[in-house]
Amino acid sequence: MNLTLSLILFLGTALQLRAQALAPGSPFDEYQVKAAFLYNFAKFVEWPLGTFANSSDPIVICIVGQNPFGSTLEDMVQGKKIGDRFFAVRRLPDTQQAGKCQILFIGAGEWKRTRALLDSVKGAAILTVGETDDFTALGGVVSFKLDGPRVRLQIAPEAGERGRLRISSKLLSLAEIVKRQP
Amino acid sequence: MSEWRLWLRVGVILVLSVGLATLGSAQTPAPPDLTQFSLEDLMNVEVTSVSKKQQKIAKTGAAIFVITQEDIRRSGATNIPDLLRMVPGVDVARIDHSTWAVSIRGFNGVYANKVLVLIDGRSVYHPAYSGVLWYAQDVPLEDLERIEVIRGPGGTVWGANAMNGVINIITKSAQETRGGLIVGGGGSDAQAEGLIQYGGTAGQNGDYRVYGRYSNLGKSDAATLAQPADSKRLEEAGFRSDWNLSPRDLLTVQGEIRLVDGGQTVTGAIAQAVPAVGTFSEPVADDDGNLLARWTHTFVNGSDISLQAYFDQSHASASVGDDWSSIGDLDFQNHLSAGSRNDVVWGLSYRVNANRFGSSDVVTLNPLRRTDSLYGTFVQDEITLTKALSLTLGSKFEHNDYTGFEIEPSAQLVWTPSARHTIWASAAKAIRQPSNIDEGLQAVSSVVALPQGLIGLVTLSGNPNTKVEQLHDYEAGYRAQLNRRLSLDVTGFVSFYQNLETLEPEAPYFAIAPGFPHYVIPFIYDYKAHAFSYGAEAFANWNVTDRWRISPSLTMLDLSVTRDPSSQDSTIEQLPGYSPRRSFQVRSFINLRRSLEWDQTIGYTGPLAVENIPGYVRLDTRVGWRLGEFWEFSVVGQNLLAPRHAEFPNIDFVDHMQDQRSAFGKITWRF
Repeated sequence: MNLTLSLILFLGTALQLRAQALAPGSPFDEYQVKAAFLYNFAKFVEWPLGTFANSSDPIVICIVGQNPFGSTLEDMVQGKKIGDRFFAVRRLPDTQQAGKCQILFIGAGEWKRTRALLDSVKGAAILTVGETDDFTALGGVVSFKLDGPRVRLQIAPEAGERGRLRISSKLLSLAEIVKRQP
Repeated sequence: MSEWRLWLRVGVILVLSVGLATLGSAQTPAPPDLTQFSLEDLMNVEVTSVSKKQQKIAKTGAAIFVITQEDIRRSGATNIPDLLRMVPGVDVARIDHSTWAVSIRGFNGVYANKVLVLIDGRSVYHPAYSGVLWYAQDVPLEDLERIEVIRGPGGTVWGANAMNGVINIITKSAQETRGGLIVGGGGSDAQAEGLIQYGGTAGQNGDYRVYGRYSNLGKSDAATLAQPADSKRLEEAGFRSDWNLSPRDLLTVQGEIRLVDGGQTVTGAIAQAVPAVGTFSEPVADDDGNLLARWTHTFVNGSDISLQAYFDQSHASASVGDDWSSIGDLDFQNHLSAGSRNDVVWGLSYRVNANRFGSSDVVTLNPLRRTDSLYGTFVQDEITLTKALSLTLGSKFEHNDYTGFEIEPSAQLVWTPSARHTIWASAAKAIRQPSNIDEGLQAVSSVVALPQGLIGLVTLSGNPNTKVEQLHDYEAGYRAQLNRRLSLDVTGFVSFYQNLETLEPEAPYFAIAPGFPHYVIPFIYDYKAHAFSYGAEAFANWNVTDRWRISPSLTMLDLSVTRDPSSQDSTIEQLPGYSPRRSFQVRSFINLRRSLEWDQTIGYTGPLAVENIPGYVRLDTRVGWRLGEFWEFSVVGQNLLAPRHAEFPNIDFVDHMQDQRSAFGKITWRF
């Protein structure tokens, strides 16, 4: 049968092409994009003096509790540098060890204790990043919002200022700014 | 006819060759490193999001069940009807090896006619048969984005025949299927399947995929079906391309051609010098080609418009006759926010169906050629009453060539007291529109021996005075994310049907022609029955641990059909006996290790009163093993508890089989 034959031919060619190492065909997963944002934040945020003991200390990204990234985040920042700093990714059960984190991600899976987690790091020089609807209202700095198939940002600059973080105007200009309600 | 098949076959080869050529010549795109993207770029990357959809579904005022990609992959199913078994309220029965009866909330049959089925917005409800030929509606399961099943009327948005529900099959965009994919599988049911697919980028803003597929379903064994002939062989080629013409304009063009060859075992009238009833095997075939384009534009203020056009040509053949159908369909939709409280969707649709029937000795249609058009408009407004309460009102206004103007209104009230609880209620009217067969059928359905050596021909004819079957339906539901591990969905409904189609006997008469003296015992379609049903469906998702999820579901249906006093249809009141009154199911998904999955489905389906088909328990199991990013192996066992069981009575001529115990293995390779 002609069709069967062409299928076999097609298969054979595909096998040969395998050697040329085609690109992995996966689409962008929501958390691949969010991971890339976390990496990018390090470029557009300045932490206060004294945050790093050494000029080569890594930028530490922490994930509290449930980790929606799998190994995506580690894989992505592996070997990447900003200035002289590499990245380190840590997973924490809670915020007791959060003092060493520069970026702290609290996923939607932690919605029950988001408020408690945020309260425990209030005023620390940590860029808190979340993805629940009320994240900035609860005191978080940056929140991911889904707008159809796209990931948008919501930033509460006042929450950042409390931690003496300097968020670049470039990042602010791309985000929806939330003013803390009086 | 042979010419038409030849051209289709040429087309299959052509599409495959194009796929081959592009695979050979395509510039291999470098693996995208998202860390190299600017912030602006990242914001424009489209993601496949689950949370958004769930959010949306949580606020829907309808009984909806979504079969996700995870559900599809882990079900072990090799076809869409098997996938639909997981949905509460949906009744799936395998009739023979390659024929399924699929319905929602009762009224099941080979040509179950009260459920609308769409693939990427294209209706696959056959306009002549009033039903779905499931063996001819196949999509590579690997390309499915999701299947949304809405139980209950969907006429306000989808129009005629979305009566007891809508099955919305949605494939992935081409952006999500970049790279190569090869799937091969085979199993004890003498089945084999293969899929070859390649997806890549075309220019700066376009993505495409092309695929070729082959599948073979072998015959039943002789113990399950006398004279088994129920094999099917499917050859298919298709493509989909998605183009971001601008950040606000998306164009999708997709198409496929498909050839299905096979046979079935039938008990019915045999045309010969003196007609008789017998069981015989016959070849059947279905060829289908379709092409669809959809353009969506999003305005700065968030409203959007979409325009969709498709053309579908199909040819189904069996010994009862040949049917050629050409469908053109045009659909416009506009979604706009009017003020802060109103969210309006409205649309216009036009469809034309040119149908031609090639008669056989036992079946003919009057007229043989017929062109029908269907046009309409709908409007639906979601009104935000308070922060937690919204009301959706809408109606379809549609004109068909059989019964003229029809209105299908609906109202839904949705209350979300907190983000994790939704309570909803709805009322709706829906219709089933008559088809060519209801109006113009002329068939010899059976032959009976009468005293004194005479024979009687039982004939079936359409009725020029067609009516729409009507449904008035009232439902309520509760949906809850009880905690981060447990979600629950419960729906209850009451439904009132009017003008259900019946078969009314007419006065017998004596005839000499054609060729032999006989009595004619005529039956004619009429609309003289009504029905009442109530029932409930429930399902839950429980993440017992991070590695183990179970999904139980329950279906309850009580349907009673009553003929009008003027009706003499002696069988219509048995209609409820074609659907189980109770069924339940538990699906379990275990991640033994990160790369090793063990999944099972155990389900009970209640007995059918017609032909006393006993209830049965099905156990399916699947072991899946992922090797790195690129390889996946799976082994599936179906119907493990018994060698065979019956799922459906003999109706609509097709002889039923008993679903067999079977095993299936599959290898998936992505590159």
